[in-house]
Amino acid sequence: MNTVTIAKLLDPILKVEHLCRNFGGVKALDNVDLAISSGSITGLIGPNGSGKTTLFQCISGVDRGATGRVWLAGKSITGLRPHRIYRNGLARTFQLSRVFPQLTVLENLLVASTSKLNQTERALDLLRQVKLESYAQALGASLSYGQQKLIEFLRVLMSDPRLILLDEPAAGVNPTLRAVLWDMVKRLNARGVTFMIVEHNMQVIEELCSKVIVLAEGKVLIEGNFREIRNNKQVLDAYFGRAR
Amino acid sequence: MHQQIIVNITLPVFLLICAGIAPLLVSQYHLSFGLQVFMMLALAQSWNLISGMTGYISFGQVVFFGIGAYTAAILLPLGLHWLPVIGVGTLMAILLALPLGLLTLRLRGPYFAIAMLGLNEVVRIIATLWVDLTNGGSGISLSPTLLPDLSTNYYSMLILAAVACGIIWVVHGSRFGLELRAIREDEAAAEMVGVNTTYAKFVAFVGSAAIPGAVGTVFTMYNSYINPTSAFAPDLNIQMIVMVMLGGSGTFWGPILGTVLVMGLREILWASLPALHMAILGVILLIIVLFLPNGVLSLTSPKIRIRFDLTK
Ligand SMILES: Nc1ncnc2c1ncn2[C@@H]1O[C@H](COP(=O)(O)OP(=O)(O)OP(=O)(O)O)[C@@H](O)[C@H]1O
Ligand SMILES: [Mg+2]
Repeated sequence: MNTVTIAKLLDPILKVEHLCRNFGGVKALDNVDLAISSGSITGLIGPNGSGKTTLFQCISGVDRGATGRVWLAGKSITGLRPHRIYRNGLARTFQLSRVFPQLTVLENLLVASTSKLNQTERALDLLRQVKLESYAQALGASLSYGQQKLIEFLRVLMSDPRLILLDEPAAGVNPTLRAVLWDMVKRLNARGVTFMIVEHNMQVIEELCSKVIVLAEGKVLIEGNFREIRNNKQVLDAYFGRAR
Repeated sequence: MHQQIIVNITLPVFLLICAGIAPLLVSQYHLSFGLQVFMMLALAQSWNLISGMTGYISFGQVVFFGIGAYTAAILLPLGLHWLPVIGVGTLMAILLALPLGLLTLRLRGPYFAIAMLGLNEVVRIIATLWVDLTNGGSGISLSPTLLPDLSTNYYSMLILAAVACGIIWVVHGSRFGLELRAIREDEAAAEMVGVNTTYAKFVAFVGSAAIPGAVGTVFTMYNSYINPTSAFAPDLNIQMIVMVMLGGSGTFWGPILGTVLVMGLREILWASLPALHMAILGVILLIIVLFLPNGVLSLTSPKIRIRFDLTK
C-alpha cells in the first residue's frame, strides 16, 4: 500500500463541523464537531432529548434546517437531498421503524437498491440470513415491530453503504433477533462498513464500539473509548446519573 | 403463475378483442355507452397513476380534460384533421402540467388536493371570461360535418383507454411503480432509501395529465358541444376518484372494475333516479372509505393483485 492509500484509509469517512439545529428556543444541536474514522463502529449515547436523533436527521439530509457542514469520505454532502446522500453511500435507519406497510417485504428491500439490475436474489439472500425469507411476499405491515426494525436494517444494505447510522436498532426487538442484528453488524464491519449506533444498552456499546461519543444538551460532552467514558465524572452525572 | 398469466395477459387481450369488434355487433346507443365507459376508464387510470400510485389525491385532474376539450373545440373549426388535434390536445395538457407539477407537488397531502381543485376553478373561470377564444359561458358548438363519426370516436376512446391501462400495467410492475408506491407509503423514508421523490412524482403527474388531455379532445368530437361547466366539471373528477377507489387504487384491475361497476350502476339508476345520481356516488364513496379502504379488488385473491410473483 502506498502512503496515499493509507492516508485515505485513515481519513474520516464522516466529518461534521459546527453543526447547529434550533427548534424554536431549543438548541437540539449546539455546534457539534465530530469525525468518524473509516471502518470503525462508533457508539452515540446521551440522555433522552440530547440530540442523537436530530444529529442523524441532519447528517442524512432528512432535516435540512441545520447550519454547519458535513463531509462523507472527503466529499461535501451539506444540503444534499437524502436520496443523493444515500446514493453517495450513507444509509440510516429510523428510531421508530418506517417499513413501507403496504409493500411486500421483498418490495421493501428492492426499492432501496441502487442498482439497475434485478436484485431479487440479493434481497432473498439477505432475508435468508435473518431467517425471514418466508415473509418475502408478506406485507410490511404484517410483521412484528421487531421484524420491521430488522427489515429496515436489511433494506439499507441493498445499496452497499459505506457508512450506516443506526438509531436504536435493537429497541423493541426480541433477544433472538437482537443477536442476529448485532451479529450482522459485526460481519459487515469486518468487511469494512463503518457504523454509528445510538444504543442505550451499555454492554452492547462496550462489546461493539471502538469509540463512544457522548451528547448532552446538543453538545459533544466527551468522546473516547468505553473505559474513558464510563469513568468520566461528567458522563456519570449527565447520563448514568439520570439513568439510575 | 399460471393463474396470473390468465388474469394479467389473456384476460386483457380477450377484453380488448371484444371491445374491438363491438361496433360491428351493437346498436348506436350501446356504442355510445361503450365510448363513455372507455372515456371514464382512461380518466380513472390516469388518476390512478398520480393519485392511486403516489397517494397525491388530485381533485383537479379534470383541468387537463378541459384543456384537451377546448383545444379540439377551437382547432377543429379551423379545418384541422381530428387526428393531429388529439395530439395537440395532449401536448397542451402536458405543457400545462409541467409548470403545475413543479409548483403543486411541493405541497403535501390535503394542500395538493386543494391546490389542484382551486386550479381547475381558476381555469374554468378563465374559459368563461375569455369570450373571444372560448365563446364564454355559452360554449362552443361544432357542426357534425367537422367531426369524425361515432365508431371512429369509439375506437379513439378505446385506444386511449387501452393506452392508459397499458401504462398502469407497465408502471405497476416496474421499478418506477415501486418507487411511486413507496412515496405513497412514506415519502420521507422513500427519499431516505434513494428514491428521487420529486422526479418520480413529477413524471407520474405529467403522465397522468397527458391522457385526460387526449380524452378531452375526443369528448369534444363525440359530444359536438362543450362549455366551461362540462369541460372543467368537478363531478367528473369525483367520478374518477370513486371508480378508482371502489375498484382498488394503485392497482391495474381496480379502476377497470370500478369503472364497469359505476357505469353499470349509473345506466340502471340514471333512468329511474337522475337527480340522486351524484348523491348515490357519494354514498358509495363513503361506504368504500369506511369498510373497504382497498376497494372491491381487495376481496379477491392476493395472487391476482400482485402482478407477478417475484419469488417465482
Ligand atoms: N421536529 C422537532 N421539533 C421540535 N423540537 C424537536 C424536534 N425534534 C427534536 N426536537 C427537540 O430536540 C431535542 C433533541 O431531540 P432528539 O430527538 O434529537 O433527542 P434524542 O437524543 O434522540 O432523544 P431520545 O433518546 O429520546 O431518542 C429535544 O429537546 C427535542 O424535544
Ligand atoms: Mg432519538
